[in-house]
Amino acid sequence: MSEKNPLPFAKTQSRSMLLLVVAVLIGLPLVLPSATLATEILIFAMAALACNLLLGYTGLLSFGQGIFFGAGAYCAALLMIHLQLGLFSALLGAALAGGFLAFLVGALAIRRTGIYFVMLTLAFSQMAYFLTYTLSDWTGGDNGLLNVPRPEIRIGDTVLMSLSDARYFYAFVAVLFLLIFIGARRVIASPFGSTLMAIRENETRAAAIGYDTRHFKILVFMLSGAVTGIAGALYAMLLHFVPLSNIDLAMSENILIMTIVGGTGSLFGSLLGAGSIVLLGEFLSDLWPRWLMLLGVILILVVVFMRGGLWGGFSSLYERIKGQRKPSLPTQEELP
Amino acid sequence: MQRRTLLKASLAAAGALSLPLGMRHAFAAEPFTFYGLKSMSGAFASYGKFADMGSRLAVEQYPQLLGRPLNYKVIDTEGNAGKAVRKVQEAIAQDGARFFQGCTLSSSALAVAKEVDKAGGVFMTPVGADEVTGKDCNKATFRWSVPTYGAVRETLVPLIKRLPEAKRWYTITPQYVFGEALLDGTKQVLKEHGLEHVGNSYHSLQEQEFSGYLTNAIAAKPDVLVLLNFGSQSSNTLRQAVNFGIKERMKVLLVWSAGLDQFQELGSDILEGVYLGAQYWHQVDTPLNRELVKITKAKYGINPTYPLAADYISTKVMLDTIAATGSFDGPTVAKAMQGLSYEGPTGPESIRAGDHQVIKDYYLLIGKPADQMSDKDDLAQVVSSGQSFAPVQDTGCVLG
Repeated sequence: MSEKNPLPFAKTQSRSMLLLVVAVLIGLPLVLPSATLATEILIFAMAALACNLLLGYTGLLSFGQGIFFGAGAYCAALLMIHLQLGLFSALLGAALAGGFLAFLVGALAIRRTGIYFVMLTLAFSQMAYFLTYTLSDWTGGDNGLLNVPRPEIRIGDTVLMSLSDARYFYAFVAVLFLLIFIGARRVIASPFGSTLMAIRENETRAAAIGYDTRHFKILVFMLSGAVTGIAGALYAMLLHFVPLSNIDLAMSENILIMTIVGGTGSLFGSLLGAGSIVLLGEFLSDLWPRWLMLLGVILILVVVFMRGGLWGGFSSLYERIKGQRKPSLPTQEELP
Repeated sequence: MQRRTLLKASLAAAGALSLPLGMRHAFAAEPFTFYGLKSMSGAFASYGKFADMGSRLAVEQYPQLLGRPLNYKVIDTEGNAGKAVRKVQEAIAQDGARFFQGCTLSSSALAVAKEVDKAGGVFMTPVGADEVTGKDCNKATFRWSVPTYGAVRETLVPLIKRLPEAKRWYTITPQYVFGEALLDGTKQVLKEHGLEHVGNSYHSLQEQEFSGYLTNAIAAKPDVLVLLNFGSQSSNTLRQAVNFGIKERMKVLLVWSAGLDQFQELGSDILEGVYLGAQYWHQVDTPLNRELVKITKAKYGINPTYPLAADYISTKVMLDTIAATGSFDGPTVAKAMQGLSYEGPTGPESIRAGDHQVIKDYYLLIGKPADQMSDKDDLAQVVSSGQSFAPVQDTGCVLG
């Protein structure tokens, strides 16, 4: 059926996927021990989703995601602390900061491909860390930036909702995540998204057809940077504080690991990846001080035996149970 | 047992079990939970392990607190400030946690201090950041370790007296807030004594290779090399300095050592003749330290290390104050801790009311040669000890 008339099948899949995300967003704080843990998962899922746009859909392995995450966190925090800006203005500022820095990094890094591109993003990541560390009057340096507020949702002088309660803040982050998830799906399903996937599959051929691949890559870099910046801002609001580790290389690595473990080329996989890594850390750290070694083992197992990450593994298991053929492209579930 | 008695007992038990949760609590005292913030995993796991051992020793002295069973819960900070803050928020919101002790990273402690203050709790920490009892102090937070000001004064001044011929001093400094604070203090002391600061090498927090900085130091021909870094960086600098033969050319002072566990890692070959600043030393002869050494050996078969002693005494002071005030109310306990005097591992200690800084001794030690060691932990001996603290008005602390 799907081969003859793929659209109804794809639409049903799309609706099911959205329902699944909504169900997860509702279920997460009920299943987990606390709303703050659930919020952390969603924030990192947002960052992994943005990384997925680069790695999963455009084939760009970037170690610069920590720059945009940290930039978003510092920018939002500074705007709220020094200019007393509200929630949405701070988030907008974070998105612009993330997007702008992504433009700068992307404009230079995408001049090279493959390993050279990766090395350039690594170099930018180190530069951003040391710059933040040096500007300690603004960033707090190694001590981090303290006293970050979590503003309420307000229109003019009317306060609609205070986010000081962890459950309300979770609800706000969940709504934002859902909107970004829907937006990302629309981007992927658009001609722009198809071009990104064409670049991922064969950049030379995409360029030969007539696409300005650099232009597309910069745009997706900026989009990814903006979303990662929003995630960073939300993390600052969650903690009331911006640790220097937000902008270090380990942050970029974490976001990449979440993306790969969840499944590149699957937006829902980002949620799975962030959830599994955050929860593994939460529970394994109680069992064994060297739990990061276990994380390494899990990453090896996923990369070797589950090409599509956790989402790919679950999908193939589901298909096997249903006795159906596995969809040929991992991006099938993202079609509208 | 008669059948009628058995039936009555069964009915009573069933009735009790069917009571709502809140009513059941009325019959049994609810445990009181004390929270230890320890880096049990990640890069600082070895520190967290000793810190946890210290807190457990203190908690064991109180099977019950004000008639309630005492429960000790470890929050693993994972050596990550973000994780530490999130887990503390969770404990406050979910479990009503109010009493916290620990933290390895200064950044974690500074952020946790804000959360605990907002929640009306009490937090005592041994971290190095002067801001904890400086510009970021608050009414809920207390700090056991001597600030950088005291560490510099209690190591440099006695060493200057001990080495009157040493006129030229060189420093190696990690370039961030803590290192800068130590460097400023060192420059000030050298200036006060009319000594020459012949040079300084800055290094980043990521640096592990110090040969370039040591070469610069040798070229400056100082009489004393002052190391202002700490942890694994200071261990690496010392190792490389010994390999360069620096000990034969000049005296070496490590202002902020981590104490016994760092000395064990370095060994007497490296430590011999090196001057070492320390917050705590297990051989100090004070009543509480004798007791601490005894119970630590009995339970763990080792001598107390700095993190063990710091977290033991901080946990003990908090629990003692709760017992003395008869209250689990955070602000009441915090108020009682202000100005408190008690017997600590370094001797009589007190908490300064103006900034919640514990006033205690800081030590200058010297590494012993292997043939003079009486046991494997007898790696250094105390040269001097004393107390130097900047006045409250100079710390930037304003308690709300």
